[in-house]
Amino acid sequence: MPEVKTQAFRNSSETALKNTQLQQALKRAGTGFDGARRQAIDSVGADNWELWRDEARKIKIHALENLDYYLDLLEQKVTENGGEVHFAKDSEEANLIVSQIAKSRNVQIATKSKSMVSEELDLNKVLEKSGVEVYETDLGEYIIQLAEETPSHLVAPALHKTKEEVALLLHEKLQVPILDDIEDMARVARDVLRDKFFNADMGISGANFLIAETGSLVIITNEGNGRLCTSAPRIHVGITGMEKVIPSLQDLGLFLRLLPRSATGQHLTSYVSIVNGPKRETDEDGPSEFHLVLVDNGRSRMLADPELREALYCIRCGACLNICPVYQKVGGHSYGWVYPGPIGAIVSPELVGLKRASDLPFASSLCGACKDACPIKINIPRMLLHQRHKLSESTDVSERNIGLTGRLAAKFTGHILQHPKQLSITRSIIRLIQLPLSNKGTLKKTSLPILSRWTKNRDMKVIAPKSFRSIWQTELYKDKD
Amino acid sequence: MTEILGTPKDDFLASVRGALGRSTPSNPSPPYFRLEESLTDLEKMEQDLKERLLIDHDQRINALVESARATAWNVNRFPNLEEATSYIADLLTTLGVQHAVRSNQSIFHQIPIDELLNNLGIESAVIDQNGAGQLSQTQARQKMIDADIGITGSDYCVVETGSVVILPRAGLSRLVSLGPPVHLAIVSPQEIVDTLDDVFLLRRLDYLRNGGDMGSYLNFISGPSRTADIEQTLVVGVHGPKEVHMVILG
Repeated sequence: MPEVKTQAFRNSSETALKNTQLQQALKRAGTGFDGARRQAIDSVGADNWELWRDEARKIKIHALENLDYYLDLLEQKVTENGGEVHFAKDSEEANLIVSQIAKSRNVQIATKSKSMVSEELDLNKVLEKSGVEVYETDLGEYIIQLAEETPSHLVAPALHKTKEEVALLLHEKLQVPILDDIEDMARVARDVLRDKFFNADMGISGANFLIAETGSLVIITNEGNGRLCTSAPRIHVGITGMEKVIPSLQDLGLFLRLLPRSATGQHLTSYVSIVNGPKRETDEDGPSEFHLVLVDNGRSRMLADPELREALYCIRCGACLNICPVYQKVGGHSYGWVYPGPIGAIVSPELVGLKRASDLPFASSLCGACKDACPIKINIPRMLLHQRHKLSESTDVSERNIGLTGRLAAKFTGHILQHPKQLSITRSIIRLIQLPLSNKGTLKKTSLPILSRWTKNRDMKVIAPKSFRSIWQTELYKDKD
Repeated sequence: MTEILGTPKDDFLASVRGALGRSTPSNPSPPYFRLEESLTDLEKMEQDLKERLLIDHDQRINALVESARATAWNVNRFPNLEEATSYIADLLTTLGVQHAVRSNQSIFHQIPIDELLNNLGIESAVIDQNGAGQLSQTQARQKMIDADIGITGSDYCVVETGSVVILPRAGLSRLVSLGPPVHLAIVSPQEIVDTLDDVFLLRRLDYLRNGGDMGSYLNFISGPSRTADIEQTLVVGVHGPKEVHMVILG
């Protein structure tokens, strides 16, 4: 697993806010993706879009409820197609499977198309350790591989980099002149990688979808690197989370309508490739071996929790990132692990452990825009609240992110809000206490150190001199008479 | 050769089942309608599809021209075969093609492509290991890496998305439409379908009819290779073709 820095969200996001280059990059990306998504939805009509979302969600609910059945069917069908399926319970096992395949088949060079799961596993590092040269081939992934960074966005991994930074990186790592034109930068990557595609022994891909009934792996790409990785080398290894399976080939059309539109606003990506095992005997070309590695790595924990299961419906389009006011300001790296943004704030704590990611459920204003943008209608805010609840009520004291004072304050508030008389007395007491601490209706910033995390960036209103209840009773209700 | 790597299937499935609160394998409940469909059901759907495709032929081709253009295919439609052939000749000349590769598909019985390439002095190779020419696999691959253009037919063409769909097989390499910087796809009207769902229905039928095999690969091509990974700026031709041409015969 790559280094977990989820516990540092608060600090990382503060640093991110001060990083002018990052802010510039985020601002440019800004509403671009989301605007394109909205346009794409308009062009098919909001009513159709809603029908598709509901339909897709139904299929995902069904597929996950019967995941054991569909994984079994998938395994049978991939095997019938001439491929091999391997099951990995965690990242170590998944990495070992791929490196054993590589080792036993004398793989020297591997080319990879984009796979978030391989980032989750830190597969490149493990393969490199066993002597395999690994090349990321998606342009964004290639850039961050050169920079030795992790992706900051599900769909555009190098979104955090300005073109000047990319130019400098290519100059340093590949000894090319400092380029000004983005097209020239892409050409440099093309030239380097083209050679690798055709000399690679192994192509590694993720999967956007797996089709149980036909044993198919589906990848959707724009650059053509996915096609090359699954066509040119003698071995193809597909590696993906076990939740990606859908029942029928005829379910795929629906998901292909939702995913690219939600991700980039395209009606369809340049390429959709459906792999049904290794090349057949009479085929002109294609890998002679096909391996599918299905990864659990914490997913069954989410499956078992009815409150969190729907996070597994995610098709990784990135729409929730593109619309999130928090992501838009702090960028993907602040989230401290592989999966950024609202969906990452849910998935990461479940995969790395809530204790190590206790800030992430709070990395949201709960505005709900992510839920509205999600093509599968995943209720992200509800799950964030659930995780917050888990954090405050955990029986493991070290996991609790709220101190004793906070817990007591919450318990006390909960109690008095249920008892109007006590509430009224408490209010009167606070009105007296706050008098010397307030200034023009707000609390003085320095007055209460215990509230400093709130008052640092915001005003804390004092309790009004008269409660609405008493205004109602003494003034409003009377007027009505 | 099957090695057991990782967790044995039964153990893995048992743990998934455990997460779902079950202890024994069971069929989906309620059953999923698509997986309940029989070959006869699908054949009925196929019949409906065929009837639908019989009407509005001209409008369908026009709609394809529009949707394919929207994904940046260069599209031209020729009801007359000679006009198509002379357009292709002009295109190859304009592009300055010196080396071409092509697949071996039935469309080339209609378009005299080899004669045309030959007359233009273009060096060309047919990528078909069982056909005439008999290039070795290494030679064939090198041809496809070096060629200026790759010429293929199409297996389906989807109006909804402006996609050419190809099913790599004997006579149709995966790389003809991918290796060269330009791809020319020649589309015959009977390959045109309305939606993605049409393609998946037909492929699913093929799978069932062939005893559970629908070929190793299926590719939807919708325009040129693109990226916007640097500052969301569109660049075409990053790993695949930068230019794609569609010629519709009809």
